Amino acid sequence: MAPIRDKFTIHSKAVVCQDVELKGDITIGPNTVVHPKATIFAIAGPIVIGAGCIIEEAAIIVNRRKEVMRIGDSNLFEIGCRVESPSIGNFNTISTRARVHHTVRISNYCVIGAACLVVPTEDESLEDYTTIYGPAADRRVWSGRGRVQEADLRHKHAEYLREMLPKFNRLRRGDGA
Amino acid sequence: MGPSIQYYCPCLSGFPVQTPPPPHVASSSASFHPLHSLFFCEECDAVRCNRCVSIEVSGYYCPNCLFEVPSASVRAEKNRCARNCFSCPICRTTLSVVASDPPDEGDGRSSSVPLSTVGEPPFFLYCNHCRWDSAEVGITFEKPTGLAAQLQKFEDSAAESLEFERLKEHFEPFLRTSSLSSSSHLPSVASHHMHTSSITAAASAALARDIPGVGKYNPHTRSRAGRDRTVNRDEMPEYKSRVEVGLFSQLGSGGDEGDVEFLTHIETAGEVAKLEQRWGNSWTTSLKTSDLRPLRIPLHSKVSKRCPTCRHILIKPEQKAQSVRYKIKLVAANYLPAMTVALPSPQSGPDASRRVPAKVPAAGDEKNFTLMAGKSYPFHLALTNPLYDPIQVRLSVQRMHVTASTDSTAPEKARRTPFAVSLPTSSFPVAAFAEAWEYDDDEDMFGVEDDELGLEPIGRGSKDRDGRGKVKTVGVLERRANVTVVGGEVVIGKEARGHVKFNMLVSYTYRSDDPLPSEDGAGTPSRVNAKAPEVKTFTFYTVIDLGPITPREESKVEADV
Ligand SMILES: [Zn+2]
Ligand SMILES: [Zn+2]
Ligand SMILES: [Zn+2]
Ligand SMILES: [Zn+2]
Repeated sequence: MAPIRDKFTIHSKAVVCQDVELKGDITIGPNTVVHPKATIFAIAGPIVIGAGCIIEEAAIIVNRRKEVMRIGDSNLFEIGCRVESPSIGNFNTISTRARVHHTVRISNYCVIGAACLVVPTEDESLEDYTTIYGPAADRRVWSGRGRVQEADLRHKHAEYLREMLPKFNRLRRGDGA
Repeated sequence: MGPSIQYYCPCLSGFPVQTPPPPHVASSSASFHPLHSLFFCEECDAVRCNRCVSIEVSGYYCPNCLFEVPSASVRAEKNRCARNCFSCPICRTTLSVVASDPPDEGDGRSSSVPLSTVGEPPFFLYCNHCRWDSAEVGITFEKPTGLAAQLQKFEDSAAESLEFERLKEHFEPFLRTSSLSSSSHLPSVASHHMHTSSITAAASAALARDIPGVGKYNPHTRSRAGRDRTVNRDEMPEYKSRVEVGLFSQLGSGGDEGDVEFLTHIETAGEVAKLEQRWGNSWTTSLKTSDLRPLRIPLHSKVSKRCPTCRHILIKPEQKAQSVRYKIKLVAANYLPAMTVALPSPQSGPDASRRVPAKVPAAGDEKNFTLMAGKSYPFHLALTNPLYDPIQVRLSVQRMHVTASTDSTAPEKARRTPFAVSLPTSSFPVAAFAEAWEYDDDEDMFGVEDDELGLEPIGRGSKDRDGRGKVKTVGVLERRANVTVVGGEVVIGKEARGHVKFNMLVSYTYRSDDPLPSEDGAGTPSRVNAKAPEVKTFTFYTVIDLGPITPREESKVEADV
C-alpha cells in the first residue's frame, strides 16, 4: 500500500482535542467535536466529516476504500463504536460499541443500537430512519416522530461540548492554521 | 461446563432418611443447589433451600420508579405500575413521554430556533432504543400526565377483562356463602403438605381468598364438603358469557382463521410478534407485531423467607424499595465452608501432553478437557472457611449403589464400577476467616508449616511422592489464609460411561458458642478434648460432578487422529 500522506483540514469552528489519532487525508467541518482518544484513519482514501458531528472517546472511524468517505452533518458516534461505512448521511446515531462494516452505507436518521454488529457480506444501504437494535441486531423503520426535538438536542449537546471541552483539553488545529 | 459442586437440602427426602438420592438419577438435581442459593436456620441447625422455605410478600414496588405500592391498590391496578412507567412492546425498554415535534421547517436543521420546553400535544410514548412510538398503534395523549390510568382504561375494556369481571360478579354470591364454611376445611390443606407451616397455610388461605373468580378446588375436602356444595351449586343460575367464544378472534385477540389468514400472507418473520413480546400481556393479544401495545410495567415484590419447621425468619429485606440490604440474612454461605472443585490442567500426566491438544478444540478451555474411560485423574477441592474460628473438616464419598437398571445392554462391569474416588481419609484444618487487614504480613497469609498443623501423613495422602515417583495427588495440597486445598483422585473404569458424579459427605467440627445438650443429634461432638471448649460437628452432603466420561472406543479413535 502506498504510504499515507497526512493532511488534516480542520475548520476553525471545530473542536478537535489534541489527544486524538488522525492518519491520512482528513477534513473536519465546522462545529464538529472530536473527543480525546478518538481515532480517525483514512487508510486508503480521504475522510470528510461534515458539520455538527460528535465523535466520542475511543470511537474509531476508518476508510478502507479509495473513494472519499463522506460523513454528513449532525451525526453522533458514541463511545467505542467502530465505523467503516463508505458514506454516512445526516443525523445518524452510532451507539456505544456498535460496529458497522465497510459494506454498509448509512443514509439519514438511522440508529445503530449499542453493541450491534452490522457486518453484511454484500454491499447494502440503510434507508432513512432505519433502526438496528438489540442483541440480534433486529431492524425497524422509525416513524421519524420526535426527530426535530432530537436534532435540537444534538445541536445543544454539541454546543455544550464545544464550550466545555476546550477548558480541559488542548485543541488541535488544522495544517493551515 | 467445568467441574461443579452443589449442596444438598434434605427437604425432599422422606423424614427419617437424610441421605441424598444417588447422583446419577436425573431427579436428584432437585435436591442439590448452589451454595449461594441456600439458607441456614440456626434454630434447627439445618440447611434450607428455596424449595422448602415459606415465602411472605413484604411489599410491592415498581422496578422502574421504585414507588412502593400499598397492597390495597395492587389488585385494583392489576399488578402493574399506575404511574408513568411503561415498557416498549418491541424491546422492553422503558418508554418516555414525548411531545409532538413542532412543524418541520424542511430538513429539520433549522435548530437555531429554540424549542419550547413545554412541548406540544399530542403526547406519545417513545422508545429511545428501538424508536417505536405509541402513535404507530394510534395511542396519543392530550396531556403528559395520568397516562397509566388512560392505558388501564383501555386494558380493562378488553373483551377478556370484561368477561372476567362478569364471571367474578356471577360467582360473588356463591363465594360469600362458601367463605363462611371455608375456614373449616383449610387446615386439611396444610396437613397434607408435610413441610407446610401454619404460616404457609395462612398464606395459602389468603391466596384462595384473594381470587374471588376462581372456585376453591380442593380435592381432599371435596368429598367431605360435597354435600353442602351441591346444594349451593343447585342454587346458582347458569352463567351466560358476554361474548360467544368463537367471536373472540374478531375482537382482535387472535386465534382461528384470522391468524391463519395473517400467517399465510406474512413476508418477514418480524411481522409476527415474538413470544417474549406477548408473554407479559395480561390477556391474549393478536399475533401481529404491528398490534403490540405499550405495557404498564409489572410490579415486583420483596419477600421474606421463613424456616418451614421453626418459622424463624431466614431472610428479610429492608422495606424500602431503594434499599438492597437485608434486615435479616441467614445464608448458608456464612455457615458452611464454600467449596470449589477443579481438574488441574493435565500436563503432569505421563502421556497427557501428547494427547491433550488433539482433544481440546481450538477454543481451548483448559478446564474442559475430557475424562477418558480407563484413566485416572487428580482433582482439587478448595474449601473456604466463612467462620471466625478454625474448622476441622472430614470428607467421605457416599457409597453408591450404582446405575443398575438404567441401561441393561451395558456390560456387567460398567454397571458395577464406573469409577472409584479417593479423598483424604484424615480430617484436615481450614483456618479461620479474617479480614484482610488482620494479617500482619504475607507469612501469616501463606506459609503455614505442616508441622504446625499437626498433620499426620496418612495412607495415600503421604508426604511427597508415592512409589512411582509421582507428586502426591491425594491429601492436603495447599493452605493459605482461610482456604485449604485438598487433592483427590478418580480412577475411571475401562467400560465407564456417563458422568463422574458422586455424593460427598462433609463434616466439620467447630467451636460452639452456645453448647447444646448432646442428645441433640446434630450437636454431637466428634472429638472430645479435655482442653478444648465445647465443639460441635455439622454434617452435610454435596454432589460433585467432574464432567462426562469419554467412552473407550471413541477415545481410541481420537487418539489415532
Ligand atoms: Zn429444602
Ligand atoms: Zn413505576
Ligand atoms: Zn423499544
Ligand atoms: Zn428452623
